[in-house]
Amino acid sequence: MEQRAREEILGRLRGIPKRAVDHRPDMPPLRERSLDHEEMIATFIEELTLEEGVVYRVRDGREAVARLTEIAAEEGLQRVMISTDEIVASLDLPAWGREQGIAVLTPWDFGDRDSFRDAVFDEVEAGITGADYAVAESGTLVIAHDTNQPRLISLAPIMHIALVPATRMVPTYEQAVEEIYGDTKDIPSHVTFTTGPSMTADIKGKPFKGMHGPRRLMVILIG
Amino acid sequence: MEIRTTLFNEIAEKEIQNPYARAFLKVLPVAIAVRRKAVMDSFPDPNAAQACGQAIRAEVVARLPELLEEFEKNALARGAKVLWARDAGEANEMVLSIAKERNVTYVTKGKSMVTEEIGLNDALAESGIEPFETDLGEFIAQQLKRPPFHIVGPAINVPVEEVCDLFMEKAGMEKTTTDPVKLGYAARLFLRDKFHHVSLGVTGVNMAVAETGTIINLENEGNIRFNKSSPGTQVSIMSLEKVVPTMEDAMHLTRLLSRNCTGQKISAYVSMDSGPKKPGEIDGPEELFIIIVDNGRSEIYGDSVAREALRCIRCGGCLNICPVYAKIGGYPYGWAYSGPMGQVLTPLLLGLDRTQDLYRACTLCGACRDVCPAGVDHPLMFLYYRSKDVEEDRGLRGKKRPWKESRFFGLWSRAVTHSVLWNLGVRLVRPLVNRYSHNGVITTMGGFFKGWFRTRNLPPIANKTFHERWSGLRRKATGRQSGENR
Repeated sequence: MEQRAREEILGRLRGIPKRAVDHRPDMPPLRERSLDHEEMIATFIEELTLEEGVVYRVRDGREAVARLTEIAAEEGLQRVMISTDEIVASLDLPAWGREQGIAVLTPWDFGDRDSFRDAVFDEVEAGITGADYAVAESGTLVIAHDTNQPRLISLAPIMHIALVPATRMVPTYEQAVEEIYGDTKDIPSHVTFTTGPSMTADIKGKPFKGMHGPRRLMVILIG
Repeated sequence: MEIRTTLFNEIAEKEIQNPYARAFLKVLPVAIAVRRKAVMDSFPDPNAAQACGQAIRAEVVARLPELLEEFEKNALARGAKVLWARDAGEANEMVLSIAKERNVTYVTKGKSMVTEEIGLNDALAESGIEPFETDLGEFIAQQLKRPPFHIVGPAINVPVEEVCDLFMEKAGMEKTTTDPVKLGYAARLFLRDKFHHVSLGVTGVNMAVAETGTIINLENEGNIRFNKSSPGTQVSIMSLEKVVPTMEDAMHLTRLLSRNCTGQKISAYVSMDSGPKKPGEIDGPEELFIIIVDNGRSEIYGDSVAREALRCIRCGGCLNICPVYAKIGGYPYGWAYSGPMGQVLTPLLLGLDRTQDLYRACTLCGACRDVCPAGVDHPLMFLYYRSKDVEEDRGLRGKKRPWKESRFFGLWSRAVTHSVLWNLGVRLVRPLVNRYSHNGVITTMGGFFKGWFRTRNLPPIANKTFHERWSGLRRKATGRQSGENR
């Protein structure tokens, strides 16, 4: 039955004589393409701040952890979930957690989806992840999800803290997408673009942050 | 969803009086249209950017079957299951059978116009599976059993007091409030619990990228991401025109869609799925079903004018700029699709006979066509539908106009295409019209024509029309000639 539906639909579509396709009109390149490294960073910070994301700039991993400590103190964080991507892994946050008396959970602590879901929905106050790219054009984080980067860590907790090396800064979405999808043999199952906290304006047109996703997004830009 | 497209005029008259609708319509569509203009200026050449979007969608329509096959091939290669549904019934059956096989008792749903078109929520509820709309506006509209008021803000016109009562009754909210933020947070808590335990998530699809077999969704709230991350099964439903050729095209359309929809550079979240989760990943769906819905579109494709309706990307830009929508809001359009894009699509899906007022409720001002990032020519489509309707076109299900109107326009068209009749008519009508002339201008006329004159004046018909003066001049000239030749 399914094959028949497919054949009928495609049959009707194919039955129409093909028309020539005009080639795409020219478009000048986006302004962001001509930004240098520092300008990209400035643009990224400006754009994300407009969306109520908070960006901290630090020089290296050590300062990143120091900033994290400050955030944890300000926000009274006691339990966090971290991903185990290479950026987060390089900072040894489990050790940091032991020093600070903060419970640091990772997805590997859980044997199955349900126990992981219970933790990430109800038991942690923040999700800490790395990011694969930071896009200057709109202050956007690009995250490719895999076994070390579960989807819910940057979504379920009320706060999302992203650690991003400044070397990952790119001017526009195309650079990130070319690298992620370029090698068609190995594409991530899930990729997210995040630009600020979650939001809505569905009641009376009044916008506010923190609808279903995180209410707060903090980016620690390293380098 | 009840289809009320035949009640357009009735509902429009009611909505024009509705103070909540009017208050909202004075403010929000205008605000979005203004923001849209400002954010389109982030392109070095906004017109070129728009033209490029239009070219992408033109290519999609021209190459639709091959792009769909390419998308299917690549999606299957990633491990997705791709299903084809000829109509609403088949699509709903598929979702139901997926749900029943997995003993699902409830599903969480992201905002999806095609699922409203096929009536998925009703089909699920009738089978004892509770569907929860999770987009805040859709959640409210669903609980109030109302059609969407605006493509982007389906319940944006609902007074806060009503939302408060609703949430206290249906969403477990305990304290009364009319603060939109507190109301939003109450909905968040209620739906969060559903996300936590859900085993089947349903989403729509903004773009299906043929080059990689990837489906893409844009959102601000995060509910679609939850539907793609928490449950073990994900069902994503797309109408077949949602395909796009390449990732690069998808990025450009992401920019245009965000700017036209909400006046943002990009929505808070964009999520892209290429197949289900990979082994070892702790969240994400084990199974990803992509259902490609036809529901009349492959038939429309055979009509070279009508098929251009398939360019539409559902951005809502046309709603925000339309002078008609600005007065009546979304309810009169009577179905899942409102505003100019609803006037373009609904007649094709439901038939010209059931939507006669929809494609006539237009001043043909063209503001919609001018902002459309996909290149839909709405006024052209409406004129096409009107002529096909009057001609009783079988394919599009045209239906003749009421006999008085048909008769009148039959006579009218005879009169204006035969100059003898026209000239005679003008001479007969002149004294009747000119008796309304005062001080060289006609500011009003009685009876049937009074309304037209409310905002317009006319000069009186000349004592001698151009035709009459021309004949007179010719007679004089030939007379003089023959006189001279004597």
